[in-house]
Amino acid sequence: MSHSQNKSAALMQGVIIAIYLAILTLLEYFVAVAFDAVPLLIVVAIIKAVLVVYYFMHIYKLNQKDSDTNHESYAYKTITNRLGLWLFLISDGFVFAGLLVMRINLLGLTRPELNQTLGLVVTVVLLLSSFFMNRGEMQMAHGDVKGFMRNTAITFILGLGFLLGVVMIEWRGVPAIAEPILHFFGEPEGMKALTPSSGDASTGPLGAVFFMMTGMHAFHVLTGLIFLFVVWNNARKGVYTAEKHWGVEAAAVYWHFIDLVWIFFYPALYLIGTAVGAP
Amino acid sequence: MLGALFGAVSFLVGCGVTDDWIKWARGIDTSDHHEEHWHGWEKFLNVSFDHKVIGIQYTLIALLLLGVGGTFAMIFRTELAASQLQFLTTDLNLFGQTGPQLFNTLMSLHGMIMIVSILLGISGIINYAVPLLIGAADMSFPRLNAFSYWISVPAAITLVSSLFLGGFDTGWTGYPPLSARAPVGMQMFFMGVFIAGWSSILGALNVIVTALRMRAKGMTAMKMPIFVWASIATSIISMTATQFIGLAFQLVMFQRLFGMGFFDPAKGGNPVLFQHLFWFYSHPAVYVFILPGLGVISELLPVFVRKPLFGYRWVAMSSFGIALVGFVVWAHHMFTSGMNEYLRVPFMYSTLLVSVPTGVKFFSWVATMWKGRISTPTPMLFVLGGIVVFFMGGLSGPPHATVSTDLHLHDTYFVVGHFHDTIFGGFVFPFFAAIYYWFPKATGRRMNEFWGKVHFWLMTPSFFILTFGMMYVGLLGMRRRIADYDPALGLDSAHLILTIAGFAIFTSVIIFGINLFYSIKHGEKAEGNIWNSRSPEWQVPSPMAAHNYSKPLEVIGEPYDYGLKDAPYTRFIEPASAGKSKH
Repeated sequence: MSHSQNKSAALMQGVIIAIYLAILTLLEYFVAVAFDAVPLLIVVAIIKAVLVVYYFMHIYKLNQKDSDTNHESYAYKTITNRLGLWLFLISDGFVFAGLLVMRINLLGLTRPELNQTLGLVVTVVLLLSSFFMNRGEMQMAHGDVKGFMRNTAITFILGLGFLLGVVMIEWRGVPAIAEPILHFFGEPEGMKALTPSSGDASTGPLGAVFFMMTGMHAFHVLTGLIFLFVVWNNARKGVYTAEKHWGVEAAAVYWHFIDLVWIFFYPALYLIGTAVGAP
Repeated sequence: MLGALFGAVSFLVGCGVTDDWIKWARGIDTSDHHEEHWHGWEKFLNVSFDHKVIGIQYTLIALLLLGVGGTFAMIFRTELAASQLQFLTTDLNLFGQTGPQLFNTLMSLHGMIMIVSILLGISGIINYAVPLLIGAADMSFPRLNAFSYWISVPAAITLVSSLFLGGFDTGWTGYPPLSARAPVGMQMFFMGVFIAGWSSILGALNVIVTALRMRAKGMTAMKMPIFVWASIATSIISMTATQFIGLAFQLVMFQRLFGMGFFDPAKGGNPVLFQHLFWFYSHPAVYVFILPGLGVISELLPVFVRKPLFGYRWVAMSSFGIALVGFVVWAHHMFTSGMNEYLRVPFMYSTLLVSVPTGVKFFSWVATMWKGRISTPTPMLFVLGGIVVFFMGGLSGPPHATVSTDLHLHDTYFVVGHFHDTIFGGFVFPFFAAIYYWFPKATGRRMNEFWGKVHFWLMTPSFFILTFGMMYVGLLGMRRRIADYDPALGLDSAHLILTIAGFAIFTSVIIFGINLFYSIKHGEKAEGNIWNSRSPEWQVPSPMAAHNYSKPLEVIGEPYDYGLKDAPYTRFIEPASAGKSKH
């Protein structure tokens, strides 16, 4: 698929990539349930990552030639900003790489016992938010501010859903809300789930690693949500046009980066190895 | 700790660094070129987006921290002058610490304050010089640049505050489990380094983008000054690897605050993991310290030798060679840490491999000087001093890299001697050279030559005595990081000489400081190209105007063709309207 200039083709491309990602995520889930195949999970995660980096984050734009050689022009500055943003993401990626190193070192081929259905649901929610973000950015690139605002609002709601899903339900942050939902998702009887309130963060490596990794990711989701609100608000004020919307692109690329991190964290925390209950 | 974080953020918002960003978030556009409200020395105490002002601010805070760290060193060096405890005794109680505990705190803080000072010092030189060398009006992201500078102020305050909050005993490395149990001063230490890390990461990012995007017309990669190459290489390291030390320190902070047992074996954690994460940054970090310094040497040497730089391409690539090899050598700090034994030999060889790109640089410097017309004003003296000192540092390196000898040398003063040799040769000498060299560009006056030479001739011999003495006592069994030693070692007189040499260096730096501040107002006027350099910034009068070059630059030659006639490096593009007005 080539990257198209046509609006409906660009939106269609987003749909196709989202379907690919959904299929791969389900494949991942069933592979983990059916066999114990770590290499396959790694391969699937890398394929998903490549799709996101190319079709959602548009990494090829880094290779764009300058149409305007004046260093003060908006076009030249956008390419400069894009390079800066990518360098920042590479730098930030090292934090998450370090967390993965820590997880491998401390947990090896074990993982915490977690509610699998909930994990799949929040993953799909985050993936969907990425899809809508891409849709919004494509609409802004073709000058459709209304469409952009609509899609960004959906992205924001889905992102908030992911954040609450992790912090409130997965962490059992608010038991009164978490318990009925977890029951609805079919929590097995006697599952020893990690709860910070019972001190699981400080009793063993399972809780420490799990809360550190999801916590660091949740912090990035939170900053991404703030960023999304800022660009949505600016779009409402009419700051962006089809030609000048660097802020929108930056917010979108950052949001996809958060998704990219979760593509690796999801198998690392939910799928790889054998589950060990909380102590 | 939350207080420190909150304080840092509110400091930044309060002093106005983030004003423009807040406006952008509210959808207000801001102008690219700010009018400066402040003149004279006041502009250095206020937020400015001009890379030259920020570069000087960085350099000043680096010198300030150098003074603080040096003072700490003098205090504990005095205690070490003789065996037994003299004034840091167990009866002493200062800031809630006994004498030996205070020794540990000062020793640990000396390490980390000097490292932060070096990071800020290289940022200072890079910020000042890189946009000038590539012919740009400013850095790519001036607001981010101001942010990176101003965040280093609360970082430095937080770091020094650990002295008054109970101190800590761990040395600058902060290994758990000791660091997980130390007093609250440890927390401030981690927090200060963590905040300084932001400054380093964001500054490095800015440098790479600037060097890639803001170059003058015609400046292809192979026509960039060597210092720009070195800055890019050093920035690649600090932009990526710094995240690992930040993460490692954050994990220890969480272990202290929430009891999460990342590095606590009793809770299934692994202390060696901390050392891996820590050294994955902290070894490449020493290349962050030295690469800009070696770049300064390569940049200045041809100016004072009047000959082209030998092997330009190889020197440019060698910086990248050092940076890349530097990523795969970290575990040579851990030969005695109980990591897997089969990892030792690969890390030994990768470490020895560092000497290859470094050797390329030495070969180029010697070949550049060969049969040149060498003149020795103060900057050149420091360049030559840097080469010799760094050579000594380089030669004392392989004994540490080799597993069999390192097992004996580990944690002795030999390591301390080696480290000071490399950092003085790779950073301190070139840093002083750069200040003496670019001072006229910044102020329009030059520093006093006589006192500059006194500074050099006092510092260099004392420094040799100091580091060779450290290696000597280390080989005879002196452990590092201890307040007292056994008189039976027979090292009392050696330590006394070391202390005297230390004070001589301290005095020479004070002379430098007085010279620096005196020359700002009273130095000899130097508005032209006093070093007879080919570099573009010397082709315009000093001090530099606010947005650098009034006319755009074009590169038409090679950067280091000294001694060749009619081979200029750059020329100014005359505006078309000026051409018309002549007719």
